[in-house]
Amino acid sequence: MNSAIQIEHLDFCYGAKQALFDVSMEIPALQVTALIGPSGCGKSTLLRCFNRINDRIAGARVTGGSIRIHDIDIMRPDIDLLELRRHVGMVFQKYNPFAKSIYENVAYSSRIAGIKDKARLDEIVESSLRDAALWDEVKDRVHDSAFGLSGGQQQRLCIARAIANRPEILLMDEPCAALDPLATLKIEELIQQLKKQFTIVIVTHNMAQASRCSDKTAFMYLGKLIEFDDTKKIFTNPREKQTEQYITGSFG
Amino acid sequence: MSVVSSSEISRPPIQRKGFSYDRLIRYFFASNAGLTIVILLLIIAFLLKEGLGFFPGYRRELEIYRITGMEFVDLSRTNLTSHEQLTSLLNRAYFAEINGQADRELKRSTEAAALVADIDDFTASVRDSYFSATEEAAPAAEVIARLKAQYAALLSLAIKDLPPSPHLTEEERKGIIDAMMQRPIDNEDTPEFVTKLAGEYATARQKFAAPLEEARTRIDAFEAAGSELNSLVGEMTSLVRVSKDALNKSDILERERKSLLAAAASAKDPATRERLQQEAKTALAEVPDIRETTEKVLAKKSQCSEAHQKLHQSITGLTAQLTFSYQQAESVKLQRAALAAMPAFLKELEAAPAKIEAWNAAEPVHLSAAIHSFLTGKSWVTGGEWQDFYGILPLLTGSLMIAIVALLIAIPVGIGAAIYTNQFASLREQKLIKPIIEFIQAIPSVVLGFIGIFILGEALRTLSTSPALAWFPGFPMDERLNIFTAGCLLALMSIPTIFSLAEDAINNVPAAYSEASEALGASKLQTTFRVVVPAAFSGILAAVLLGFGRVIGETMVVLLVAGNRIKIPDFSAGVGAFFQPAHTMTGIIAQELGEVPVGSVHYRALFVVGILLFAIVLGINATAHHFTRKMKH
Amino acid sequence: MISEETLIRKGTPKGKGLDLGIRTMFAGLTYLILFVAVLLFCKICWDGAPTLFSTKAPFVNVSFLLDKNQTLHVFDNPQGERLQLPASEYMAYVKTNGEASVFNHQSFSYSGGGIIGPIVGTLLLTVGSIIIALFFGVSAAIYLSEYAKDSPFIHVVRLAILNLAGVPSIVFGLFGFSVFVLAVPIITDEPSSRSLFTLPLFASDYVISFQGWNSSLMAGCATLACMILPVIITASEESLKSVPQGFRDASLALGATRWQTIRRSVLPFSLPGILTSSLLAITRVAGETAPIMFTAAVAAKDDLPWEGMSNPLDILSSQVQALPYHIYTLAARIPNSEYTQRAQYGSVFVFLLLVALMSFSSMYLRAKVRAKLKW
Repeated sequence: MNSAIQIEHLDFCYGAKQALFDVSMEIPALQVTALIGPSGCGKSTLLRCFNRINDRIAGARVTGGSIRIHDIDIMRPDIDLLELRRHVGMVFQKYNPFAKSIYENVAYSSRIAGIKDKARLDEIVESSLRDAALWDEVKDRVHDSAFGLSGGQQQRLCIARAIANRPEILLMDEPCAALDPLATLKIEELIQQLKKQFTIVIVTHNMAQASRCSDKTAFMYLGKLIEFDDTKKIFTNPREKQTEQYITGSFG
Repeated sequence: MSVVSSSEISRPPIQRKGFSYDRLIRYFFASNAGLTIVILLLIIAFLLKEGLGFFPGYRRELEIYRITGMEFVDLSRTNLTSHEQLTSLLNRAYFAEINGQADRELKRSTEAAALVADIDDFTASVRDSYFSATEEAAPAAEVIARLKAQYAALLSLAIKDLPPSPHLTEEERKGIIDAMMQRPIDNEDTPEFVTKLAGEYATARQKFAAPLEEARTRIDAFEAAGSELNSLVGEMTSLVRVSKDALNKSDILERERKSLLAAAASAKDPATRERLQQEAKTALAEVPDIRETTEKVLAKKSQCSEAHQKLHQSITGLTAQLTFSYQQAESVKLQRAALAAMPAFLKELEAAPAKIEAWNAAEPVHLSAAIHSFLTGKSWVTGGEWQDFYGILPLLTGSLMIAIVALLIAIPVGIGAAIYTNQFASLREQKLIKPIIEFIQAIPSVVLGFIGIFILGEALRTLSTSPALAWFPGFPMDERLNIFTAGCLLALMSIPTIFSLAEDAINNVPAAYSEASEALGASKLQTTFRVVVPAAFSGILAAVLLGFGRVIGETMVVLLVAGNRIKIPDFSAGVGAFFQPAHTMTGIIAQELGEVPVGSVHYRALFVVGILLFAIVLGINATAHHFTRKMKH
Repeated sequence: MISEETLIRKGTPKGKGLDLGIRTMFAGLTYLILFVAVLLFCKICWDGAPTLFSTKAPFVNVSFLLDKNQTLHVFDNPQGERLQLPASEYMAYVKTNGEASVFNHQSFSYSGGGIIGPIVGTLLLTVGSIIIALFFGVSAAIYLSEYAKDSPFIHVVRLAILNLAGVPSIVFGLFGFSVFVLAVPIITDEPSSRSLFTLPLFASDYVISFQGWNSSLMAGCATLACMILPVIITASEESLKSVPQGFRDASLALGATRWQTIRRSVLPFSLPGILTSSLLAITRVAGETAPIMFTAAVAAKDDLPWEGMSNPLDILSSQVQALPYHIYTLAARIPNSEYTQRAQYGSVFVFLLLVALMSFSSMYLRAKVRAKLKW
């Protein structure tokens, strides 16, 4: 089994405050990997390193180790960030469609990449919306404002927007945190569909969700990776005591 | 056990009845909040109270204008004025040609004369003293001697700082100065050489005028063609003026009588009442009989028509011959302007007789005519000898044109700076940019006006005279103070408003938008222009509108810098119209309110301008707040 | 497919030049405006500073700040020296030397002496109007922030505040003129003929006459206070609202009344913010010309407001000079010549210095208050 992301001894700081300590793991391709842990454990930080969106924050930097995607060190200074982000898509905690129509939201990444051909755009929008299981619900109103959709639909729109680039890796930062249980269920079903095409890394607070939809689970605590293994193993027979305590709800 | 005895705590009972301090305090605060409503209502009420009387008053003025026959006279007068303007254009072209040809002589002569005049001015006072001293029977020798000494001192002082004379040779200049230095105190003659230069100039003029003799005769003929109309208008003017004065006087008497009667009605003491009523009776003005004079004027109807027809005929005949092949650029320009205006003038002349025949003094003047005249009037003429007109158009155009210039500059700069500061600038840059822009906002408008007069106006005009920019329409500027200068300063004034509001709007765009965009592989620039700015669009629009409101309502800058010429700019100049002086709605109030009698029609007209201004600005602000609300949702 | 090919930049990426160009353009626009502002400021300092400062001790030309404004007389004395004397010194000179010793005499209105009159006038106008506006404005803000519930009254008040804030200053001038100068009531024993109406006060000769306060300090203060009211209300409300709700809840829970709560637990904490924002309002009041042109200001006045007054309250009903109006007069009514420049640039420089001082200290204090008030 080949790995999509290799993390080796990663240290990461926000200014003077170190957020990740010596994290090493290999995230397998075309599977769902869940990052769990209590708030502030560094799981979102780690996720946000994979597309270097952390670069937006002043003072945030990697202080040691490396992240390699397909054997390319993405922390190299000559990495084309925009290209990297086209290959590593991201979905955020709070659904955040742009103040544009549904169509324009999905077509956004293609347009900034310079695609102007109408037919090609139509095709991309339709296939992305289909992949995000949204097409049937919105096909009659793709030119309406995205804000007219329900919360769950808006989050699926954001997924459609992220996969319109056809990335290889899809990062999801607590994608269901702002959704009701029914909408959450839909997203989880969607994740199962999507993992056929994309390597998915998902950060979640919800352990039931991690156990339901991930193949691998990493448990992090205080910026350190405590345990990383098959989901089944983590949830039934964890190696570390902290993992067990967290999973059984003793803390966190 | 309690440490504080219950008597020490004065506590109101839980259930309170009737009066309570707390409720009183609450009402006090509520009434202060209500004060804002009261002020707004007072503003509206008093603007209307002072302003609404304008329309009946103006209607009466227009009525007088009609029944006295002034309107009738003006039918002819406008044509006469255009004729005079055309004549003046033709004459200016002619003289520009001659003076252009005799340029060297003209300059030499003027420069020499300027030297002499400068020295003369400098020594004038001591000379005057000398002359008055010598007029006395026995002038004291020592006084004469002292004055002579002073004269010599002043002379040597005068020659230190003389105007330049680039067209005179160094020798000639020295000759003139020496002649002046040697001239005794009681001699007022101009040096010989200066007289000679004046003579040379006169000869040159004659020489160059000779080939233009034909032009001279034709222009004279053109001028003479208007003489009949001119004398007619003159006669009629003196006739109608008498009627107008009589009517105005009787109006004033009538008002006095009314106030006397009102005073009588409220007087308590019967004797005073009796006296006041008596006074009112004697003050009773007879309505003057102006019919006679009006008829005298109307009797000239046919004469007027004839004069117009004759003028039309003779000018039609002359127009074809009025093109002369001038060589000076200035003359060609003036001649072209004159010829361009000719067809419209001829059309007016042709239409005039019909208008004159159709005019009727008895036609009533309705209130709507006053409103119409205010809203669509092209002239604002006040305190005049003849007839006052209150037309808002010149002021409205001035205000709008200045606002256009200001916004054309302020929108790109203000929004651009807001985008840069919020999206691209580092924290340190922000700490530099924001306070400076806030400081610009704090600069009082009168200081900006001062800058306009003393710094910017001169700088812009110097710039406009540079030959490299001669292609630009309207350059070189005729006036230092004009629409463009005022617009530039108002731009400086509205940039902080637009900047801070637009920056707020951009700042309020959720960070999630730009994060999502960058996660999709968009560059910072793409994120800014495709996601952030469109999301802030209605907020930015509101910023622009509020900036517009500020520009329209601004007073001191336009009062000082706009040039204050009450005239609709000449749009035939194209973009050049923006380099002409103008007057504004705010400026006219500030300039004239202090000078008009309280309660007069003119005074009320200024309040109507105020109402209009108030309505415009309120409308703009309401639209802006509509967009701000939209932004929040 | 991710590969070294696509992910690693080679040379300058395409579009980078355009990117940089656009950024530079926007930076250019921003720094252009800063440059213009700084340039104008420096120009005025350069031309105006010599009036106020000198190279000799005590370095500040106090007489410009402390002398009354006078006409400037320029003439040559018999020795051929050009003298510039303010009116009072000129009179003395003529008295001693006689008319005959004055040559090439020119006079420039408003250009001699100093600017104590305008400075004092502006000070009085500003202090007066700010006191009025603070009293009513803070009260209104307390109502809006502490008492108001969502009611039609509040909606109308907010609408009124919003609209008042947008009214052009010249309209405030018209308003002040027609209301405070011509219509507000006064108590007098001889009502003017232009009085709108009079109400008798029983058992005396005095009546309440609606005839206005004439052009006077108090009419000007009242007009300026009305103009600045919305600014003060908005700033005060913001400052009151930034006091955490917990302060109020705690106080109310301890049995304090609303007013006690406001007085002891809310106002003390919001006062620094209110005062800081009113500094900004002061800058605006001090700089306004249009509202005081017809309500308070005169171009020339020989006495300071309190000179020759038997009753100190008469100051309120006297006209005053004001710095902005003085600058307007200097800019619009007298010609620009080498002799008037001292007064013109000097006055503007002093005024701008005051404004800059207030403006920057307001910014500084605001930053400080904000940093301190993090609950």
